Amino acid sequence: MSADSNERLPVKLSLPLAYQQDLFHELRSEDELVVLARGLGLLRIVTNLLHSYDAAGGNLIVVVGATDRENGWIGEALAENAAISASPLARGLSVVNTDVMTVGTREKMYARGGIFSVTSRILVVDLLTSLLDPEMLTGVVVLHAERVVATSLEAFILRIYRERNKIGFLKAFSDNPEPFTTGFSPLATMMRNLFLRKPSLWPRFHLTVAQSLEGQRKAEVIELEIPMTDAMRDIQNAVLECVEVSMKELKRANTGLEMDDWNMDSALHKSFDVIVRRQLDPVWHRVSWKTKQIVNDLTILRGILQSVLSFDAVSLRRYLETILATNAPPPGSNRQNQSPWLFLDAAHTIFDTAKRRVYTGTGDGKGVQHGLPDGLRPALEEQPKWAHLAEVLEEIERDIYFNPPIYDGSNGTTLVMCGDESTCRQLREYLQTMHVYPDDQNEGNDERESTLDTKPSATYMMRRKLRNYLRWKKDFAKVSASLFAENQKALNSSTDPRWGNESYRGKAPPNKRRRVRGGSATVSGPSRTANGSIQITEDQASHVAELLAEVQPTEAETKQKHEIAMDPLEDMEDYYELFEVNDLVIVHPYDGDMDEYILEELKPRYIIMYEPDAAFPRRVEVYRSSHSDRNVRVYFMFYAGSVEEQRYLSAVRKEKDAFTKLIKEKGAMSVTLTLDGKGVEDPQEKFLRTVNTRIAGGGRLAATAEPPRIVVDIREFRSSLPSLLHGRNVVVVPCMLTVGDYILSPNICVERKSVKDLISSLKDGRLYHQAETMQLHYKNPMLLIEFDQNKSFTLEPFADMSGNTTSPPDLQSKLVLLTLAFPRLKIIWSSSPYQTAEIFEELKKNQHEPDPVKAASVGLEEGEDPTGQTFNQTPLEMLRKIPGVSEGAARRLVLEVGSLVELSNLEVEEVNALIGGEAGRQVWRFFNRSVFD
Amino acid sequence: RSAPSAILVSPRQKGNPILTHIRSLPWEYSEIPADYLLGTTTCALFLSLKYHRLHPEYIYSRIRALAHKYLLRVLLVMVDIDNHEASLNELAKTGLINDLTLMLCWSAAEAGRYLELYKGMEHATPTAIKSHAAASYAESLVEFVTTPRSVNKTDAVALVGAFGSVRAAVNARPEEIGLIAGWGEKKVQRWTSTVGEKFRVRK
Repeated sequence: MSADSNERLPVKLSLPLAYQQDLFHELRSEDELVVLARGLGLLRIVTNLLHSYDAAGGNLIVVVGATDRENGWIGEALAENAAISASPLARGLSVVNTDVMTVGTREKMYARGGIFSVTSRILVVDLLTSLLDPEMLTGVVVLHAERVVATSLEAFILRIYRERNKIGFLKAFSDNPEPFTTGFSPLATMMRNLFLRKPSLWPRFHLTVAQSLEGQRKAEVIELEIPMTDAMRDIQNAVLECVEVSMKELKRANTGLEMDDWNMDSALHKSFDVIVRRQLDPVWHRVSWKTKQIVNDLTILRGILQSVLSFDAVSLRRYLETILATNAPPPGSNRQNQSPWLFLDAAHTIFDTAKRRVYTGTGDGKGVQHGLPDGLRPALEEQPKWAHLAEVLEEIERDIYFNPPIYDGSNGTTLVMCGDESTCRQLREYLQTMHVYPDDQNEGNDERESTLDTKPSATYMMRRKLRNYLRWKKDFAKVSASLFAENQKALNSSTDPRWGNESYRGKAPPNKRRRVRGGSATVSGPSRTANGSIQITEDQASHVAELLAEVQPTEAETKQKHEIAMDPLEDMEDYYELFEVNDLVIVHPYDGDMDEYILEELKPRYIIMYEPDAAFPRRVEVYRSSHSDRNVRVYFMFYAGSVEEQRYLSAVRKEKDAFTKLIKEKGAMSVTLTLDGKGVEDPQEKFLRTVNTRIAGGGRLAATAEPPRIVVDIREFRSSLPSLLHGRNVVVVPCMLTVGDYILSPNICVERKSVKDLISSLKDGRLYHQAETMQLHYKNPMLLIEFDQNKSFTLEPFADMSGNTTSPPDLQSKLVLLTLAFPRLKIIWSSSPYQTAEIFEELKKNQHEPDPVKAASVGLEEGEDPTGQTFNQTPLEMLRKIPGVSEGAARRLVLEVGSLVELSNLEVEEVNALIGGEAGRQVWRFFNRSVFD
Repeated sequence: RSAPSAILVSPRQKGNPILTHIRSLPWEYSEIPADYLLGTTTCALFLSLKYHRLHPEYIYSRIRALAHKYLLRVLLVMVDIDNHEASLNELAKTGLINDLTLMLCWSAAEAGRYLELYKGMEHATPTAIKSHAAASYAESLVEFVTTPRSVNKTDAVALVGAFGSVRAAVNARPEEIGLIAGWGEKKVQRWTSTVGEKFRVRK
């Protein structure tokens, strides 16, 4: 810490509130873990802290755990602060985030000093290779401290840092208190991982925080509780019913598990599928196919739950149809192996109601009045929030008109905040077109003409969406025809003219034909297939055509189209363009800490929270309190009795509970931390190792002062094993390896596979290839099958196995094939990374130490540069999934073709030239085959 | 020695419950150095960890008897105790020194199945694990698109359905993809950056 108080004086900080200043001074004086409530501006404190060091100059500080967006934000804020303080020494933030930067560049950058944000995987390698000498560091700042669990990379980094550097500072930050409260004395464990003694907790109800936010005039908040339409409520209830049934099914199938939390309460919470998934995780590779299916269903159901509130009726219908097409069971399958929710009446309600919101079929009288007994009429239900939004905007306009704003430092801007970009798009379009009406020639609508001028409506937008939907539907029928041919066969038969309105499905045996009473009434809504699952009834082609004609753009609509360049795509690049004519209303999605920036930048007088968000009201509070001269009025919209409301309330409650628990634990926590922690070598152990008394079997007497060494592939630093090896005083040498993951000795080469990797790499042939090369280059190739800590240590599925060897090859039989093909390949079974570390130590005894240089060169072609062998994993994985791409072809393509985009645009001849005729054609066809035919 | 069609079992294994689980293939007793003979060059030793804890020297005597015979020497270990770590560490080392391939099983039924599999696939070619298993176009398409994290099957079909072909989907602009229901910004960003990303990281 070279920056003393004298140097700090000229630094200008942007921390106007009392709690921010308190926190900052606390942080300057000691190392601690700061847990701040969401929305209270954690990053602002971090950037100010960094700036104070930055401005002093001569520091080398590393920021660990920042995301890309946070990097951008910190960088900008630092530059801004530097400009304000006019400090000549500030260098701003340097980001080291991909392997693109060479080792040389990185070394030079580190030598220059300053503030660095480094990706953990790169940082750990740089620290181990002493490219970045831990002793040179002034300090480390850890963001997202809740992620620093014992086996994480961040914990590894901190251990290396503390092992070599005991004087540098270490400050950790988190604005997510919940993870600190699960498990046994979680805070104390976390503190140990972080090598910190003092937690500093800042909930919203903290005295200083409350005072600084509530001291002066508070922001004006108007809550608008908006009722859902009946159809929306029906869908929501039906989805919840499906969730309940799926949960019951899960409980029945997995009786041995702790499932007290699996109730409807948690189902309302944002991530109930994640919770269930986490509960099942220990046994994930053993649970039955059906359980996996249900967990998957829960994710889908959660998606629907959210979409009901945020999508418009037409988009929702479209989304549901896609879901159904991908999840509908193929005809002929039975209930036993399908998603149970699709068989419920509730599922019927979901699809049926969603459809009725878009257009209604016959039977409701409207059609008859229209002179078309069995036609379809667009219903186009609007989201209730739209009208309220329009109303609020009108009110604001009136307010501005009648009470002309006195100058108070804020712009007259109205800011509309909503959940995501697509909702933004929806709202923008609505606001643009709410006063556009199609010229309705239908006599039935005459009376509406009178009210035209005053009432905003989404008719125009919805009609446009419906047109797109109908067009899309035609294409989509073809898509699912070519992808899910079986399903479609059943579907098509329903539109077969011979059968008219009967909902007979193709696969049912003729004598079991189900005639549905009331013929024409069944045209709308899904009905059931022979096996009882939901199937969308196709509307007759003629009806669809009519509907399409019905919503053809009227004169007024076409006129409108030219005026406002309706294609939202054009506006995306710089969407401020869109509001040039009327920059009073800005629609923006919630964006975490960036929202603060938006508020500061726009200085809005009116804010409409279209969807609830737990952190945003606090940001407004902070914004309001930071500027005594600005007035803000907030409209807070939510659907009454909706999931949205529940979720908001539970988020607020959960955070509060978490803080209460943390405060309790902090009070009772015993502070017995040694700053050194583990990982610092005990001199006695060092001595014992040099005189290795185990000379069993006439082995060599290893009397070496050299600590054991393991060469580890750089890509392996994603796993926790290198960290644990390091913790056991093994020297971990990071290297770019072509063959194997861990080199234990000149002869022993280990390929590590988690169970998940094992399954996938056996499936796509990667493991076979890896075993082949290992066998070629090493005397003792080994496959390490590593189970997760806490996961059940067995491959055996819950379902019983038939002794039938002709059934499709399962994991066991593939393993048998592998060992038969490679008799020399040895298998290490390990129940956890901890055990693996022990086994490695055992295997290394009485063996020579591996040579990193040699290990790195193994498997490379003559003259090949090992550094050219770094690959991006996900695109590579995708490449391997393409039919026709063998391991060899993949290697070839990776070298010759830049990316998947480039590969997709190659002509068939070019691909042929690279990987040969048959495979080339396959690849080309994969990309170019049209799903429409 | 010509390979018999049955699994040869050493009389030492008499009474072992796993024998009752060898159902799909015939087996007979025969005087062999190993416990099970599963092919001309493949043999297996069976070890229950419970027994190993009581008689740690047993397995070493059996290994010694095996000498250097057979190409693939499987050590079939049944994990029937809870604190298996120490024993497994030791066996991993033993396997390395004595050229034994360790296979773990957790029940007699699974052990029986392994024996059947070894015998049944004696002459099988490793095609099942050598290259990508052939799948239908829809399957491989869905697999391809769902590789990046958080993209699910519904998203995959919606994406390709909206653009018509994989090629168009790969080349689509992020704004276009964002219009599809279910594709939020994060998903879109992850997808476009993954397909556009260079396979090789150039330094």
